[in-house]
Amino acid sequence: MRRPDKTRSLPRLGTLYDCVGIYLIGLLLLVVGVLVSDEFLTSKNLMSVLNAVSLLGIVATGMAFVTYSGNMADLSIPSIMAFSGIISVAALRFGLAPALILGMAAGMLIGAMNGFVVGRFNANPILWTLAVAFFMEGFMRFTWSNNQVYPDIEPGTAGAAFIDIFRLNVGPIPLIVVVMVLMFVVGHLVMTRTRFGIESKLVGSARAASRATGIDVPRVVQMDFLAAAFCASIAGIFITSMNKLGVFYLGKGYDFKSVTAVVVGGMMLSGGRGTMLGVFGGVLVIGLLANIMTFMGVNTFQQNIVTGAVFIAVVGLSQYRLRRRGKDYA
Amino acid sequence: MSNPDDIGVALRMKGVSKQYLGTLAVDNVDFEVRVGEVHALMGENGAGKSTLMKILAGSFNDYTGSIFIGQKEVALHSPAVAKAHGIGMIYQELNLARPISIAENLLVGRLPREYGVWLDRKAMVRQASRLLDRVGLDLDPLLPVEAISQHQAQLVEIAKVLGSNPCVLVMDEPTSALSRDDVGRLFEIIRQLKNRGITIIYISHHLPEVFEIADRITVLRDGRKIDTKYVGEVTPAAVVQMMVAQTIDEFYTHRTPNIGAPVLDVRNLTRKGFFHDVSFQARRGEILGVAGLTGAGRTEVARSMCGLDPVDGGTVEMAGSKLGRHSYAAAMEQGLLYLSEDRKTDGLFLRLPVKQNMVSAIIRRYTRCGIYSSRHETSTTEELIKRLDIIAASMSTEVSNLSGGNQQKVLLGKWIAANPTVLVLDEPSRGVDIKAKMKIHKAVMELAENGRTIILISSDLAELVGLSDRVIVMRDGHLIGEMQKGRLSEDAVLLAMNGQLDETT
Repeated sequence: MRRPDKTRSLPRLGTLYDCVGIYLIGLLLLVVGVLVSDEFLTSKNLMSVLNAVSLLGIVATGMAFVTYSGNMADLSIPSIMAFSGIISVAALRFGLAPALILGMAAGMLIGAMNGFVVGRFNANPILWTLAVAFFMEGFMRFTWSNNQVYPDIEPGTAGAAFIDIFRLNVGPIPLIVVVMVLMFVVGHLVMTRTRFGIESKLVGSARAASRATGIDVPRVVQMDFLAAAFCASIAGIFITSMNKLGVFYLGKGYDFKSVTAVVVGGMMLSGGRGTMLGVFGGVLVIGLLANIMTFMGVNTFQQNIVTGAVFIAVVGLSQYRLRRRGKDYA
Repeated sequence: MSNPDDIGVALRMKGVSKQYLGTLAVDNVDFEVRVGEVHALMGENGAGKSTLMKILAGSFNDYTGSIFIGQKEVALHSPAVAKAHGIGMIYQELNLARPISIAENLLVGRLPREYGVWLDRKAMVRQASRLLDRVGLDLDPLLPVEAISQHQAQLVEIAKVLGSNPCVLVMDEPTSALSRDDVGRLFEIIRQLKNRGITIIYISHHLPEVFEIADRITVLRDGRKIDTKYVGEVTPAAVVQMMVAQTIDEFYTHRTPNIGAPVLDVRNLTRKGFFHDVSFQARRGEILGVAGLTGAGRTEVARSMCGLDPVDGGTVEMAGSKLGRHSYAAAMEQGLLYLSEDRKTDGLFLRLPVKQNMVSAIIRRYTRCGIYSSRHETSTTEELIKRLDIIAASMSTEVSNLSGGNQQKVLLGKWIAANPTVLVLDEPSRGVDIKAKMKIHKAVMELAENGRTIILISSDLAELVGLSDRVIVMRDGHLIGEMQKGRLSEDAVLLAMNGQLDETT
């Protein structure tokens, strides 16, 4: 109390964890993986881990902006993914490029709406996006009569090219992995080097103070939800291409999985804290965990239990850290 | 009762210390309060007042030293224990649930029951009314707290604490949100409590108040007790000297204002239900004070003028050109900036470092095509830290870890960085210690000397009179007059705020 320079040791440790901690856990998982299986530490397996987390990674890049700006999570992400996929497939008769553009536009339309309502009217982001997800599921099931939408996959057609998107390689590396890494790099630059990124941090740290600092808060929030929708739309096109069909349930589970990756990666749910590098680490750790569990013969449902438990543990831990530092961040 | 010194001692703390984040926040303090006295506890921010009172409130279980209440030694290791021993705390921020009725707030935890299950409404109203009577409030106990004024809410809070029959009542800056009238009424209540034998520990930065209400004053500095004195034995200047350990010759150094052409022109600004037809001008290099009671509409005018709140009519011109859109961003583009009265909610980014707070208002200036260049941040922050004498471990220290005075300096620094043409300061030194206040005043005067226009809203009359070149007076949402430098005095401003403006000015 006497002098204000009392902040030395405690937060430093925390900051260290935020940046490097997740990679230490990743390293630990690599060791565990080696112990579990001989085939674990092969370039083939590691590439398949990367391949498997690519969709999640792409979604998490966008989700990170929503969390970073203090809006917790966009739960409409699964419906954005499904919708952009369905629209792309439905628009394939205009050619591949128009189809992709229309698909992206459709997904981002939902993001624009989310951003507008949450930013302008201060709607609760969780409840609003949950409602949108519910609405969109109904809308898609009704419009396409509960059916799957198939592209025409005759060789040489736009449909065939669409199906190939997921299966393309850049040299030895799958296109989707390249896209994911690229998006993390761009996401990192946007978050740290642009006015939008800095303002997202300020809005996430203190919304009222941001407004009183002259920041156009509704616009910033709008952009954050647009960023999430942009990433989800790209993921939607990939997942639709992977499944060779568009259908309302394709993005299922990516809402929760991506928030888990974001939070495991050291981003605070209360906003304003965290890095894109950490989120990338979070995505890798989740991928490694799933991969190791698969090697160990753990089935999908049990894996979900583990993912849920990890989420609970990480959120609990970060809350505990905040409280220990004596901050009543309401 | 063998020791005559012990007669009438309500509370005695002996050799009390408390380690807090590596420093001795309270260092071997002896503190004694007698039954039925009002004992002021003074010191700068960070002197240890709050920590000492937190010990008393049972917030810590690891203090050392002994505490006696009456004759009995007690261990105040939890808030419940402290309350059971008759310690009542009234904090600066009210502990009331705003949407809930006064009665339920007053009786929370001990609401009367019928048959042990149902709420007994009649008994609740009866008991609540009795508590309200004790603080001289005549209100319907079923009104929600949000429907009553700040001053009334403060009294409700006192009534609530009195409900647990405390023998020692601690009041932490109880007047910081009250207008002059309300302070008078609060003091009336304090005197009544005192006559009933309740002991009051009164924490305040406000010297005139302390000298008006207190019997004795104890001054803390750097965690240690400096002295305890009867009010009659000391002068305000002597108390200040005890607090800061350095003589203050002249609180407000005289400055020769260099006032130029009009910069800001507000005409017929109206926001229905808040203020009406407010017109005034401010000139280059001028410090224009705005006087008024709480609720007179000063903050409301400032916020609407800057585009933070809506307006229903009127215009705001900066240097002859009307502000474009009605938004704060538009006002900021013209250099019309507003320093908020509440640094915690809409002033600072408490969880971010000093550096990021300092540059938060100038991000736009350092952005080209959407790309922000952070290269200026360190030098900008270094310069402001030096200029405002901010005490922080480093510029990456979280602002929430700074003392109140240093937080307020960071807030001022943020707006200085934004290069204001007109800077509206809303209570720029509320609740900060004297040293910080002097530094803030010096910075404000420097800004004016450099040709910036300052609009100063303050409830601290000494500050208002000491700094302003001219004061405009608001009352009930109307601008009721103007006073020039030569005629400014605390008395005159006080009278004007209450509607008795000397017509000759």
